[in-house]
Amino acid sequence: MSPTTGMRVLEPPHVGPPRRLGVNVRGALALVGTLTKWLAAAPLLPLAFALGYGESPWPFLGAIAVAGVLGLALERLGRDELRTVGFREGFLVVSATWVVAAGIGTVPYLLSGNPELDRPVDALFESMSGFTTTGASIVTDLPALDRSLAMWRQLTQWLGGMGIIVLALAVLPRLRIGGRQLMESELPGPEIEDLGTRIRQTARRLWGLYVVLTALLAGTLAVLGWTGLDDRMTPYRALAHAFTTMPTGGFSTEPDSIAAFQPVTQWVFVCFMILAGVNFALLYRVFVRRRVRSGLRDEELRLYLGFIVLGSALLVLQLLEQELSGSDAPLRNGVFQAVSILTTTGYATVDFTGWTTLALLTIVGLMFVGGSAGSTGGSIKIVRHLLVGRILRRELQTTVHPDLVAPIRLGGTPVDERTLRAVIAFVLLYVGLFVVGAGIIAIDTALQGPSLEPITVMAVAATTLGNVGPAFGHAGPFASFHEFSDLSTLVLVGLMWLGRLEIIPVVLLFTRQYWRL
Amino acid sequence: MKVFIIGAGQVGSTVVEALHADHDITVLDMEPARLSALAYKYDVATFEGDGTSRRDLSQAGIANADLVIACTSRDEANLVAGMFGRREAPHAKTIVRTSELEYVELWREGQLDVDFVVCPELETAHAISRAIGVPAARQTDVFAEGQVQIVEFDVEEGAPKSVVGVPLRDADLPRDSKVMAIIHGDELTLPGGDSVIEPGSRIVVIGSPRAAKEWGALLAPGGASVQDVVIFGAGRVGTAIARVLSGQGISIRMIEASRERARAAAEQFPKVRVYNAVGFDPDFLERERIGLAQAAIFAMRDDTKNLYGASLAKVHGVPFTIAVAHEAVSIAAFDQAGIDVAVNPRAVTAEEIVRFAHDPRTQQVAMLEGNRYEVLDVTTRETSRYIGTKFRDMPVHGALIGAIVRNGSAIFPHGDDVLQAGDRVIVFTEASNAPWVIEAL
Repeated sequence: MSPTTGMRVLEPPHVGPPRRLGVNVRGALALVGTLTKWLAAAPLLPLAFALGYGESPWPFLGAIAVAGVLGLALERLGRDELRTVGFREGFLVVSATWVVAAGIGTVPYLLSGNPELDRPVDALFESMSGFTTTGASIVTDLPALDRSLAMWRQLTQWLGGMGIIVLALAVLPRLRIGGRQLMESELPGPEIEDLGTRIRQTARRLWGLYVVLTALLAGTLAVLGWTGLDDRMTPYRALAHAFTTMPTGGFSTEPDSIAAFQPVTQWVFVCFMILAGVNFALLYRVFVRRRVRSGLRDEELRLYLGFIVLGSALLVLQLLEQELSGSDAPLRNGVFQAVSILTTTGYATVDFTGWTTLALLTIVGLMFVGGSAGSTGGSIKIVRHLLVGRILRRELQTTVHPDLVAPIRLGGTPVDERTLRAVIAFVLLYVGLFVVGAGIIAIDTALQGPSLEPITVMAVAATTLGNVGPAFGHAGPFASFHEFSDLSTLVLVGLMWLGRLEIIPVVLLFTRQYWRL
Repeated sequence: MKVFIIGAGQVGSTVVEALHADHDITVLDMEPARLSALAYKYDVATFEGDGTSRRDLSQAGIANADLVIACTSRDEANLVAGMFGRREAPHAKTIVRTSELEYVELWREGQLDVDFVVCPELETAHAISRAIGVPAARQTDVFAEGQVQIVEFDVEEGAPKSVVGVPLRDADLPRDSKVMAIIHGDELTLPGGDSVIEPGSRIVVIGSPRAAKEWGALLAPGGASVQDVVIFGAGRVGTAIARVLSGQGISIRMIEASRERARAAAEQFPKVRVYNAVGFDPDFLERERIGLAQAAIFAMRDDTKNLYGASLAKVHGVPFTIAVAHEAVSIAAFDQAGIDVAVNPRAVTAEEIVRFAHDPRTQQVAMLEGNRYEVLDVTTRETSRYIGTKFRDMPVHGALIGAIVRNGSAIFPHGDDVLQAGDRVIVFTEASNAPWVIEAL
């Protein structure tokens, strides 16, 4: 138009309306469907128990139907949009998969007709506590549960422990989306260690090791029962507890948890809880590839064992001094509780509610330690404590020597600064969520009851966020969470969800930045 | 008029090209090669010298100039030359080119003693902003300090029946706008009330910027205004674009490969999301869903990068691509690649300078259809015989008044409005008729 045409429109385009949504929700849900439809196979085991014991099979048939139909329906819904499912959708896929899994987990509870689990909120709590391997329970009368239903409860923990997505990656044919990101969100810790050339191979080896260790524990327990060393340890209980020990879950079929069993059985549990809190990739290296020496030099393992010794010592010393353990075994009870809480299992051999405040504070403190990265343990994790410690040391160092270049190393390898930032952000988010969660519980329990001690409020928030299990008092190891209001129950469900997925994928879903283009 | 130009680069030579026919021009530059190239091409006087040397300037005869244009590529040299120009030729108008937005702002605040400051980056940003404002437009330009916009559209099948296929007097046209011409094949008509816009023709519309946008929405079926753009390159051009567009409430993402520049842009624009990334990385484009953006603007320093980036954006599905062409020849290459809009910063700048340099009463502001038609911006004299005439009674002589600017604000006249002395009139006319129109008004 102008004589010199500085601007020339070469081809007037057709511009559509602005896109507001930068996330392919339908495609993500389709992937969620793919990942969850195999959960339809999970209730087969309790179904077999139901048929064997002559109990009602309908809760499990219902769960199979719901999982199958929901999975296929979701898959079909976005089948055509899978092409653009990528990095961004990964967070939604992981977070939604866990909600869907928890939802499917409620079906047997709701259909069972058990009066303690027939409300959706309560069933959701039980199911989320199962899949996230928390182990906090709403049930007060465990013996009243059908044995098949109790086994389902144990099984959810076993599935959730190594991760339902990791299992899906192991058994499913190749997915469109890169499995690594999904796996990283589910396998705790800053990064995952490859055990094969393909992510599927890694997933299979991890699950294989997990199955072997579970079978080993179940066998050991069964032998203890069979040889008469512990006559309460039936094969059913052996399997049930193997299902909740290896994932550091903590559900028990017994109302008095591990106190139901003999000391020798309890020591076996201690050993396997410690194993479950070790990085499974490290276990694989040591046991399968027989690289024992390099495995034992692992810095995280050493700090993990150090924490166990320290926590055990603190508890044992206090029990010795106070003689409050109510038993003649301060050593066993102290070590068991320290290991159970630190690895975020949540078993108990004694109701520690009555212990001294200092002991209770120690327990709350241990709830923030957690297992190793790549283990089934929850909470902050050892490696993050290690890195935060080194970051703090470097800050002090560079205060004195401002020009010092000091990369932070882990096992001799320098750690990327971005990873370090992520570690700090994670710890801050973790503590922040703990404070917010405890605050809501404090306000809600003050308004709607039950009345809780301040330390119990803290323990309730820490135990759910860290996927540990028991707190004190009303929510103590031999008690139940059924007294909380629906609001508090849902908040605790949210904390378990956040804790299991290591916060970021879930928190992202509540930000504008995630959804906008 | 005697014009004195300092700097014979791209801007300077474009200005020479536009002004040499009607004005006496002296060009000063330090490069003899550039000067001789200009002197062979156009009838201009050249002088080899330094624009920052007062002695060189006075030797070259700056004192006789009516208009001094300092348009080298160096800001400081232009400012110094402008200052000396003021001293040596106190009655001449001075134009200074700058790349620094700060100087433009200083001038607007009255702190710089020159008549006009022109900034290529800012002019580019404004041109892109116009293109984005009316994405369906084939061409667009603004007059009268941005109050009047002229837009050329293709009318396609499926355009709404309220406008197309009915006589204009019955059509439901956007307010404050007027159809100035309907072009069908080779034939151009100046429309009356009986004229009909047919699909397949092309129309020229004059109106307020808002009306221009409404026309755009009307003629692009399913089209929408651009509210979401990605700018590649956070250099001077990119940041100027970000500044102009963010003032319009458009959501902006910027992509810059240099960490320092990305950081600086992020600090300067808190609302803009700046990514430190190479815009050609398919993983990045995929992860950030760049393909879902409504428009992508390529403002990198290298034309080849802009070309490749824009092609890649097309591949990823961006419907509207705009690329800066630093070399005039790149525009044709961009066209080949299917890029939607190409902007040459120096040419845009030269246009601004030429517009200012023209006769204050008559401004030939734009040409259409291979110079067969012109858009004129004329201030009416008190002696014009059409003063006091209603627009409906104006004779039809192959010219059409599209808008008038009265007391600083634009009016899009209807039949009952009356022409007054001192009105600035935007007239669309056949080129052969232009002298007659200028004389009559």
